[in-house]
Amino acid sequence: MSKLILRRIILAIGLIIVASALTFSIIAAAPGNVAALIAERKAGPSASAELVQQIAEELGLNDPLPMRYGRWFSDAIRGDLGDSLRTGKSIDQEFSERIPITAILLGGGGIIAFVMSLGIGLLGAVSNGRTVDHLLRAFALIGASTPNFFVAALLVIVFSVSLGWLPAFGGGSFVSWIMPCVTIALFPGSVLSRVVRVNLQEIMSRPFATTGFAKGYSRSSVLIYEALPNIAVPYLTTFGAQFTLMIIGSIVVETVFALNGIGAFFIEAIRFRDFISMQATLLLFIVFFVFVNLFVDIVCLFIDPRIRRETHG
Amino acid sequence: MINTNRRVFIGGTTALSLAALFPRGLIAAENGKLTIAISQETGDLDLLQNVSSLSAYSVVFDALIHYASDGSLVPALAESWTEASDGKSISFKLRKGVTFSDGEPFNGETAVWNLKRWMGQPDFSWIGISDAMKNITIDGTHEITIHLKQPVPAGLLEMTIVRPVRFLSPKAVDASGKQIAPIGTGPWVVTSYDNTKTSLVRNENYWGEKPDFNELELKVVPDELARSNGLRSGDLDVIGGEWVAPLSPRRARSMQKNDDVTVISAPGTASILLAFSPKSSMVSEQAVREAISLSLDRNAIVKILFEGFADATANVFPGNIPAGGKTRTVTPRDVNAAKGKMSSAGWSESGGSWSKGGKTLEIELLVSEESLPGSRRLAEMIQGQLAETGIKVAISSVDNATIHDRRPSFEYDMTFMVTYGAPYDPHGTLANLFLSDVDSGPDGKIYAHTDLDPILRTALETGGAARDAKMQEVYDWLDNNAAVCPIVAPQRLWAYSSNVSKFVLSATDYDMPTNGVKLGS
Repeated sequence: MSKLILRRIILAIGLIIVASALTFSIIAAAPGNVAALIAERKAGPSASAELVQQIAEELGLNDPLPMRYGRWFSDAIRGDLGDSLRTGKSIDQEFSERIPITAILLGGGGIIAFVMSLGIGLLGAVSNGRTVDHLLRAFALIGASTPNFFVAALLVIVFSVSLGWLPAFGGGSFVSWIMPCVTIALFPGSVLSRVVRVNLQEIMSRPFATTGFAKGYSRSSVLIYEALPNIAVPYLTTFGAQFTLMIIGSIVVETVFALNGIGAFFIEAIRFRDFISMQATLLLFIVFFVFVNLFVDIVCLFIDPRIRRETHG
Repeated sequence: MINTNRRVFIGGTTALSLAALFPRGLIAAENGKLTIAISQETGDLDLLQNVSSLSAYSVVFDALIHYASDGSLVPALAESWTEASDGKSISFKLRKGVTFSDGEPFNGETAVWNLKRWMGQPDFSWIGISDAMKNITIDGTHEITIHLKQPVPAGLLEMTIVRPVRFLSPKAVDASGKQIAPIGTGPWVVTSYDNTKTSLVRNENYWGEKPDFNELELKVVPDELARSNGLRSGDLDVIGGEWVAPLSPRRARSMQKNDDVTVISAPGTASILLAFSPKSSMVSEQAVREAISLSLDRNAIVKILFEGFADATANVFPGNIPAGGKTRTVTPRDVNAAKGKMSSAGWSESGGSWSKGGKTLEIELLVSEESLPGSRRLAEMIQGQLAETGIKVAISSVDNATIHDRRPSFEYDMTFMVTYGAPYDPHGTLANLFLSDVDSGPDGKIYAHTDLDPILRTALETGGAARDAKMQEVYDWLDNNAAVCPIVAPQRLWAYSSNVSKFVLSATDYDMPTNGVKLGS
């Protein structure tokens, strides 16, 4: 078991190195002279060609790409991700201010997606084939196909502009987090509710479910006590994937709700071609993706002995 | 145990639901606070760094002179000033009884300490009066004189710009002289700032007219739609301003339909120009440039793209820029005249395009939506209008970094340029974006020609009554040579909610509009 986990961790680290090298290369290959932008911000209209060249030298932009990547990665693993070219603050400081905001958003969204998916999935399975089941399926379909910027705008217009119940921006009181968290949870919650519903339907046709009915258990009891634990692995795997994708959704949601988290930081970095912030944020995204999936894999190894046996081969 | 948890859960949920049902005004009383949207965080407002957003400085810091809406210069921390007859010195009588918000007095000594932080420093050589500064003397407790190596006709105007010319408390720096806190003499005092908002309270010792309300919040809202929704929901009081939180013409027009929101517009101080590359073989002929100008329907651009919130222009600078030149009449679109210009210059039209000496006319128009929002649509409209004359235009849409890379090396045939606007014009744009021997770095040039340089340099060095005439010679040269193609002067756009009972537009969009604003329905 421990060897299995160790192997997964080594694989995860390798994946981080490869993915970060790829993203570093893509950003470095993008057209445009970043030094010129920095020079303009530093010296205003007087930014001279000499200053542009000086900045390029200082940042090592004239060095070969592998050398630049090696220098950046070795600094990164020591915790030095550089300074933002846009704000002048260290990336560490930016991250320490912004990660809590994104963590609340993803945490709140994750909880809503979890509760919503299980609730809708179970309710659909209980009312199998009846009107409620059809309505919930339609809701999940709409939720999974509506872009989150549209959901956000709709919620703001209804609950802030028209009704005045909730603030238009997040990040303040508890109620200010409701709309951002609901927005970011709608897509994963809808997709996961279909995972729950379809898997429960499949499980309910297994012999042990029939045995449960034969023993006199109600449909709800069989669903909750017998079928639900059996969908844990496919559910957790999909939940992990959807949860990591929520960080992509945070880019839009944070912008719309004026939350200054990691997503908004990334968008601003792209706008300004702040390549230091872009590389650092992409590294954070990669680490987040890899470790959430690693965590889910390890949890699945613990809860399902079949996976342990399969992996041992 | 289970029953207890359920009661707690149901009770908590009900309480939260009821709280959410209350109108927000009952939950959070916000009397006396004005909330203005800003598109990016203010930063630390360091006067010597080019990082913080420009618009927030004016609420905290004052200059010796302020720029008024009509382009005149009005007293601020200086009650009066006198220019020497030879133009080589400017004496200021400073306002008495002024203190910084930390209690430090403002006097000749603190004024000179502030001025010496940037005047004569290489980083600020782009400011004419800084480059020409010889020394500064204290003539009395509240009198100073700036001595110059040579006259700087735009020197007083330069003393009104956003930074670094404003005044900081001498106690607000560390041992190395680096600014550690934004402490000025302005109407507001920063209490906190981060990447979500900057909070300020009224400076009770402010020397001028004190604000009508006691709190100011600058809320960071990068998205324009979110700002508009925030205004309509009452979370924001004021949005708009090119350098504060831009409001697009289309959004402004749609917001006018909302009863709770007031949209105001005013003539802008910057122009959008079509700039021609001096290195381009496609636009090197004057006839081609004139044909392009004649093919443009500026009024249609104003009506369709700017929703009427712009003024068609044939001038480099809008009429509200001092020494901006005589107003030229906007020539109506004339496709036949444009074709006539091309034919007279030896170009022949066939198959919907022009050619000469085996060369087909196809012009690259370089744009960046990031650099100039709305420029992609503007380019498409110009492309369509020029197509009717048979002038083919290929649009190159690039990102902000790329356009700043290609402009200085003139890697385009045409591109959009925007003048700096008040209080930086006309000298700022003319000196940096037209003089061929001045390194304008990533900004590039609107136009550059060695024949223009001496005329322009003379105009920039001329002061007094002769200045306007000399400036006019520059504008005439540009017009006679069809060197630039002015398109429109976008208007200043702001919107405010019903929480604001009186709104007064600031002198320029570099200033936050708080002076004279009153709250209450």
